[in-house]
Amino acid sequence: MRAVYGIVVRELMRFVRQRGRFLSSIGRPFVWLIFAGAGFATVFTSAQGLDYRQYMAPGLLGMVVMFGALLASLSTVTDRDAGVLRMVLVAPIHHGTVALGKALGATVLGTLQAIIVATILLPLVRLHPGLRALGLALCAVMLSSLAIGALGLMLAATIRSIENFAGVMNFVIFPMLFLSGALYPVRNLGPALRLVTYVNPVTYGVDLLKHALLAPWAGTPFGGELPVGLDCAALGVWSVLGLLIATPLLARESGVTRVALKRA
Amino acid sequence: MSERKSIEVSSLGKDFGAVRALDALDLTVRAGEFFGFLGPNGAGKTTTVQILATLLRPSRGAARVAGHDVVSDSVAVRRAIGIVFQETTLDRDLTVLENLRFASRLWNIPGRIARPRIEHLLHHFNLYERRNFPVRTLSGGMRRAVDIARGLLHQPQVLFLDEPTAGLDPRARRSLWELIQGVRREADMTIFLTTHYVEEAEPCDRVAVLDHGRLVALGTPRELKDTARVATLEAVFLARTGHTLALAEA
Repeated sequence: MRAVYGIVVRELMRFVRQRGRFLSSIGRPFVWLIFAGAGFATVFTSAQGLDYRQYMAPGLLGMVVMFGALLASLSTVTDRDAGVLRMVLVAPIHHGTVALGKALGATVLGTLQAIIVATILLPLVRLHPGLRALGLALCAVMLSSLAIGALGLMLAATIRSIENFAGVMNFVIFPMLFLSGALYPVRNLGPALRLVTYVNPVTYGVDLLKHALLAPWAGTPFGGELPVGLDCAALGVWSVLGLLIATPLLARESGVTRVALKRA
Repeated sequence: MSERKSIEVSSLGKDFGAVRALDALDLTVRAGEFFGFLGPNGAGKTTTVQILATLLRPSRGAARVAGHDVVSDSVAVRRAIGIVFQETTLDRDLTVLENLRFASRLWNIPGRIARPRIEHLLHHFNLYERRNFPVRTLSGGMRRAVDIARGLLHQPQVLFLDEPTAGLDPRARRSLWELIQGVRREADMTIFLTTHYVEEAEPCDRVAVLDHGRLVALGTPRELKDTARVATLEAVFLARTGHTLALAEA
């Protein structure tokens, strides 16, 4: 477990030193709150005294988690590129431990960013959840960071270059965001898109956050849609699945020689 | 030098698609031996090292390192070996000290043991003054020294050096060699060196020459020179790798 600790500590150190990444991860949800919030608020009608910006808050936290955890998994691509992954793979630990360390690193980073954003965002939109709700929200953030981190790891482990990663991430991030219920309820979507929302781990994270933060609106179209137990189970399944798939992919590396010989 | 075997390779082969990178390699390296593995670029040296370090699975044959099978007992192999790759594996954004601490955690070395060991290595490799510098600010030679220090941190039984001086200027190469020789004198470990700088293999106990994935010569530098009736290992190398049909000799 010392190895897992080592991997997590390194992820944290790298994150804190990359000031641009740190500030943009904190600032991004507020940009969405201002621009998307202002636009959608004009067409959003709620009879239950719910402001659109309040409705958006769980989704924005879900977005912070998603960006935080997915970008944390980016470090796997840069690690492979820089050679650091080789050092990690030649350490006397199972490759599953490496995957777990990386996913837990993403969990810590996603959670940390969500906590920082929540301390500013929730008072700003006048949401004042109680201790129990905050506890559930913390669980939601941690579980979804782990699930999305594992998913990101799965993608990052198959990708060899940063340019490629950026392309794939853009392709993945926006559907994941829009089909998660972060910006609008997904229960009225057509069957095909609904199916996608059920595969999307962010859906379950955002839904859990709605259960926690929009509890007063439970039962309205704006509260949590799925049972809390199902949300937790789905995130758990995603975490385990992601780690199981990512583990052998991480080690599948023979680098320069293989590429050179294949070209020959 | 004992007769214990540090590395045992039998009929080892590796294919990448249709390309045969390594073919029927047989090799034994004794514990404590300084073994040189020579060959031109693309001969299969790095492939061999990667199989021995459990980073690649062999297509055929078997290999044991420090008594453990590289496929079925890979974690035990990794525990017993240290490896310095051709390219640096350090995190350039972290400092020298942070990199070594990270490695000590990966190798499960408790802090109270790791701290004095890291300090010793930093002094030994003349890196102590630079310990709080990010790796990216170091010269190529210094980075390589940190890589070697990282490879020695867990006091491995076998140290693989895969072209450790590639890309370094002559002065950096020389000082790196002084470090490696110093390490050899201090710890009784097996060193498996791959290089295409033939003169670097002169101090080796034994040398193997690999070409097109096949072993074409094996013996002490003296034996190889006597057999080929030439004065330098370089001449042996040229004679052996110039003729790809040359038979392996043991």
